[in-house]
Amino acid sequence: MSDSKAKMGYFCSLVPTEIIAAAGYEPVWVKGKAEMTAAADARMYPNMCPYIKSLFTDAAEAGGSAFDGLVFARSCDGVRRLYDVWQAYIPSKFTYMLEVPKNADDLAVTYFAAQLRDFASQMGKASGREVTVPTLRKAIKDANAARSKMRELYNRQSASPLPMAGSELFMQGLAILHGDGAKGITATRKKPVAEGAAAGSRKKTRVMVCGNVMSRPDIFQMIEGSGADVPVADVCTGLRFFERIVDEKGDDPFLSLAEAYLGVPRCSRTAAPAETYARIRDNVNRYDVNGVVLTALKFCDQQLYDIPYLLKKLNDDGIPVLFVENDYVFKDKDRIRTRVEAFVEMLES
Amino acid sequence: MLNKFYTEMKSSLEAAYQQKPRAAIRVTIQLASTFVEAYRADKNVVWTSFYSFPMELLAAFDVTPFDFEIAANLLPTFSADAAVEIMNRAEEVGYSTDICSYHRLAAGCDMLGYMPRADLLLSSSYFCDGKAKTNKTLADRCGKEAITLDIPNKISRESVDYVAGQLRRIAGRIESISGQKLDLERLRECIRVSNRARRAYEQLADLQKVSPFPYIGVPVINMSIFGNMLAGKEIQEQIYLEIVEESRKKIMEGRLTPEKYRVLWLAWFPVQPTVIRQIFRKNGVTIVMGELARNYGGRMDESLPFESLALWCLKNPYVGTIEQRLKGINEIIDEYNLDGVVHFSTDACRHSCAAQKLIGDVMKERNIPYLVLDGDMSDKRKYSPERTEMLLENFIGIMAGRK
Ligand code: SF4
Ligand code: SF4
Repeated sequence: MSDSKAKMGYFCSLVPTEIIAAAGYEPVWVKGKAEMTAAADARMYPNMCPYIKSLFTDAAEAGGSAFDGLVFARSCDGVRRLYDVWQAYIPSKFTYMLEVPKNADDLAVTYFAAQLRDFASQMGKASGREVTVPTLRKAIKDANAARSKMRELYNRQSASPLPMAGSELFMQGLAILHGDGAKGITATRKKPVAEGAAAGSRKKTRVMVCGNVMSRPDIFQMIEGSGADVPVADVCTGLRFFERIVDEKGDDPFLSLAEAYLGVPRCSRTAAPAETYARIRDNVNRYDVNGVVLTALKFCDQQLYDIPYLLKKLNDDGIPVLFVENDYVFKDKDRIRTRVEAFVEMLES
Repeated sequence: MLNKFYTEMKSSLEAAYQQKPRAAIRVTIQLASTFVEAYRADKNVVWTSFYSFPMELLAAFDVTPFDFEIAANLLPTFSADAAVEIMNRAEEVGYSTDICSYHRLAAGCDMLGYMPRADLLLSSSYFCDGKAKTNKTLADRCGKEAITLDIPNKISRESVDYVAGQLRRIAGRIESISGQKLDLERLRECIRVSNRARRAYEQLADLQKVSPFPYIGVPVINMSIFGNMLAGKEIQEQIYLEIVEESRKKIMEGRLTPEKYRVLWLAWFPVQPTVIRQIFRKNGVTIVMGELARNYGGRMDESLPFESLALWCLKNPYVGTIEQRLKGINEIIDEYNLDGVVHFSTDACRHSCAAQKLIGDVMKERNIPYLVLDGDMSDKRKYSPERTEMLLENFIGIMAGRK
């Protein structure tokens, strides 16, 4: 492997990037194609989640994967099957399907730790740089440090006025996921929270965004454009990613990783709906939120099945909520914007 | 409502069986009786997945199994409109129509109070994300524990141990809700009984190779779905042997329906009334096999009961990469002298449908006519008789052109 780091793509935040880094790769969260075309539909059942389709579309149109390798995970039925279709049609240098248990008890942790050892061994073989306990410990430390910085920024977001626009914070997080590392992090607000509003002005309505995978700031900008603040984005590519801290002192780093990745925060793929709701409630209090925008990718069963439960709980507890299904690329931006504006207006009144 | 439905269904099936003692009726009587029993206050009721949970473990206890998917989704067989009304209730509270109708219907039934009490709710991770999720939501609603039997994507020493460990824990949970200690010898006996039933089923699978096909395809597929409810019980073997007997008799007496085309059916068969059977009958098409209607698990070793049950789950064609599924499909094609393959593409069943085009490419290489037949298991709003007819007629035309 040359000095400029090879890039190892991964799709799900349940993939321990520490192992990828310890093997000498740069872990990069793959965001897929920004514009959806019919390339995926030619090879795959069309009613798959648009994130999955965007990943496939991107690689299919380019005639192969742009990465030096790709890590799939048993996140959901969709990714399990994406792996099948990918293997058949997308030329890739290296692929690995990581077994991530659906449960999170001690049996699952032990099994996951064993899978991570295999993953590390395969990563080491692919890169030519063996993953050793010291290299893994160092990668864990580095990842913790990068995540801690973002966590600090998220922690500050409980203040009012809001220290940083939610859209900006979200994009900084994405930059890290894309491999820009901690260097992308700035703690100061670069631009006003909403068009024309000065930092530190009157207390604004605060809206939390909850959901799964997102790679664009559209929904944040819509909320901010309506005059509200977004203190926190509890999504796979937002707060949840940065809250995960791995024990650096554990005897077995694989076990520490398994415990951390199956531990809290858990998304609706692993958590029972009651756990997901408890987390939403905590964040509503912690970030002093007036309303919740609950969003889900179309055709994402992991998320869609929880929606009725979450809507009922939020309504029962008197927490205003807007549910927005999205297609990942926000093609129907105007329709969503109208609903978001009406929601913010309702919160403000 | 479901209780009444199954009580009436049981009585009418029993009357039908008196008139015409057929094994297919007997298996449905068993299904209805089990569901009726689940409403009894003196029973310990364990909700589970008949077709993906190793039912031998439940057979080792005196508990009543109940499958909310199957229980709710026999309703459209009798009234597709009533099923839509119930699904509407679930949709009103936020169940997206992009969610499998099986679960919208089950959620609607639960909201309306149609389901029996649950003492413990078990599901498996591989059939499907939606089932495991619904299981958790329903458990929350009734304040009981939901357990997902997590089945990894590959077979290894570690994955067998992991699944076996979960099954041991589940046995412990059943002990605590039933107050009954697991008798390992009884579990071993359930596995022995199940092995015998599988051997009986293999005899049927062999008879299915005969042309014309001596039985009826849809019950064979259905049995592979809910027949597993009886795994570990003597009656399962008896019923399979009866079917074998009925088929042999038909062959001997020459009472076989003429057959023009033999097809393999992939994924599920719709429970709502459709034109499929009618078109097949009219054109001499027989479904000779379903991909789950085979003994894919092989013989289980009763000396290692938990490991054997774990392995049975891990060998399911829908576990693992598509190779595991394709291997089964290719073997059936090799063994059953087929004219075509139909993949029923029920809306929202991502794990069965995702790779349907890839399966199509493999069929093309094998020069086997292949049809993706879109529709829906239970939701009448997502089924078009005209389109189904058009797709099937075209497909039959292709098979005819190759004769
Ligand atoms: S968004 Fe949902 S369906 Fe899509 S990859 Fe993630 S968990 Fe799977
Ligand atoms: S049809 Fe598919 S999605 Fe629906 S319940 Fe069955 S396995 Fe799950």
